[in-house]
Amino acid sequence: MKIRIKLLAHYQQYLPPDCSSSSYETEVPPDARVEDVLAGLPVPLEESVVLVNGRTPQPGQVLREGDVLCLFPAIGGG
Amino acid sequence: MYGWNGRILRVNLTTGETSVEEVDPRMARDFIGGRGWAIRYLYDEMDPQVDPLSPENKLVFATGPLTATPVPTGNRYMVVTKSPLTGALSCSNSGGFFPTEMKRTGFDLFIFEGRAERPVYLWVNDDRVEIRPADHVWGRTVFETEDMLRAETDPRARVACIGPAGERLAPIAAILNEKHRAAARSGVGAVMGSKNLKAVVVRGTRRVPLAHPKELKALADQVVEEVKQAVAAGKATLRTYGTAYVPPVTNEVGILPTYNFRTGVFAGAEAISGRTLNQKYLIRPKACYGCPIACGRVTRVEDPVFGGEGEGPEYETIGSLGSACGVDNLAAITKANYICNELGLDTISAGVTIACAMEMYELGLIPESDIGRPLRFGDGEAVVEMVRLAGLREGFGDLIAQGSYRLASHYGHPEYSMSAKKQEFPAYDPRGAKGMGLLYATSNIGASHMAGDTAYMEVFGVPKKVDPLSWEDKPRLVKYFEDIFTIIDAAGLCVFLSIRYLFEPTYNVEPVRISRLMEYATGAGYDEETLLKAGERVYNLERMFLVRAGFSRADDTLPPRMLHEPMPEGPAKGHVVELDRMLPEYYRLRGWDENGVPTPEKRAELGLP
Ligand code: SF4
Repeated sequence: MKIRIKLLAHYQQYLPPDCSSSSYETEVPPDARVEDVLAGLPVPLEESVVLVNGRTPQPGQVLREGDVLCLFPAIGGG
Repeated sequence: MYGWNGRILRVNLTTGETSVEEVDPRMARDFIGGRGWAIRYLYDEMDPQVDPLSPENKLVFATGPLTATPVPTGNRYMVVTKSPLTGALSCSNSGGFFPTEMKRTGFDLFIFEGRAERPVYLWVNDDRVEIRPADHVWGRTVFETEDMLRAETDPRARVACIGPAGERLAPIAAILNEKHRAAARSGVGAVMGSKNLKAVVVRGTRRVPLAHPKELKALADQVVEEVKQAVAAGKATLRTYGTAYVPPVTNEVGILPTYNFRTGVFAGAEAISGRTLNQKYLIRPKACYGCPIACGRVTRVEDPVFGGEGEGPEYETIGSLGSACGVDNLAAITKANYICNELGLDTISAGVTIACAMEMYELGLIPESDIGRPLRFGDGEAVVEMVRLAGLREGFGDLIAQGSYRLASHYGHPEYSMSAKKQEFPAYDPRGAKGMGLLYATSNIGASHMAGDTAYMEVFGVPKKVDPLSWEDKPRLVKYFEDIFTIIDAAGLCVFLSIRYLFEPTYNVEPVRISRLMEYATGAGYDEETLLKAGERVYNLERMFLVRAGFSRADDTLPPRMLHEPMPEGPAKGHVVELDRMLPEYYRLRGWDENGVPTPEKRAELGLP
């Protein structure tokens, strides 16, 4: 199934080179858990905020077709 | 004294007399400095019921004990006075270089009283204090005023001044220093204008005395090193994008103010982000004095309509002059920002007031003939024109300059004003971050993120993420954040660095390092507990000022939209702010009665009158 990965702030450096927006579509196995997908990303997870469709995911949450998995660094300010 | 200079300068503008006063060491310690000392003087000396624009109001410029020390971001000052926008307290904060220079004159505070007969400016060159005529700069923009006054005093001097908006007593007028740094909120610029005080110019060469300079330097260096390492590791979000990195983040959680806070989801969030700013307009990042972060933006826009050069925009400006007005044109937002700086306006209040006017225009509640043009959401050119008119208080701009509450009330519909205590919301829709809702409602300065930004935890995950949509845990969080923001302000530091580097390292929001820095600077006996207590003491005294000014529980509220209109879409869909559930618990935790008044027991505990 397809989900979108969205990377914000300086995590945009981890976007695929040909990606002109902040997000890209990717194929994951059906019933993939959030943790499984995160493990495959080149992002320092311990300093990140992780959201699924704008909300904090539950531990072990299973992704669904079309979900947006968003990561940004825990920085704050504004 | 150490850390503090221990001296304040009192300027009576009516008589033209100035005097120097020593500071009581006990008061110094118990109220920290900056914002804390300022409220102590205001509370003792002034009737909180006075007209904010009368000579009876006092205006305080206040640096803190860590201002102008080696502590990174020790570059802030606070402007504290009774606000013409809210009728409550103003505590507006600015950085840059003016505050450091001011502290180096050897004074911690300037207290302005009365009203000058003719326009004047204050020139403080170390110990030499002069009140000088300012007729020649009256009517000038902020940029012109700064250049002219430096030329006639000292090219190394620093200037804080008002523009036409402050002179014309706009309740949303700001005080600008170094042209682009603003003590922006609550109409502090109008108070300056009402006193016929155009500018304050400082040149200081004194070093701040420190109790334990070696220890202070070592810890300060360690913090700087940590920031540098983060930068070297490619983790420099604020330096790379400024706070303009935020719109896509708040949009993702559904709280980016859009169409006057009708919704928190904006289709143009990417177009107004730091990424766009970098691609199109950024010249270089810029730091305040002693800051390793450098979140400031030097920018240039090449555009036939919106061209210009200056600094900004930062997130709050983008959220108010941009998405709140439905504008996704970053050139227009940046241009409007430049004009606000030039004429001396608060970008947040200006933007949210224009957004309010746009909504009311589209609903047919404001006739086009009053405005003199259509005023639809998304029209960047209209925003730029409205900002210019507001800064000069011309035409429809006269109403904009008074803020959204007065504008909306003028047309019989105050409910379209997205404000608390008449001060416009910053750029977080509180329906999707409940702590911010409670903060806006209870804040002593009206809606403000600088009063205790719980979005750090609710949105940004600093120091850890909490659920923005829950309300049960928020009264405790809000109280705590208000108290620690009070400490940061009073100490004279910038929040951006302090929250991340001075309240951990173990990723607890405990004031470990900041209390050590305070002790190294002052030697006054601070530890974590006494510092937190002092923050709470200051916050409570500010509240007592409000109580004496006539504020009560009825004023600790939010517009009906936040309380009754569920967020229509996005991650916060269906949510309102559960204020009536949070407020009683918040009062209880604060030790305030059911009317929001500090109880005698609480006051006794804090040593307050
Ligand atoms: S983080 Fe930004 S606002 Fe704060 S001191 Fe540094 S440059 Fe100034």
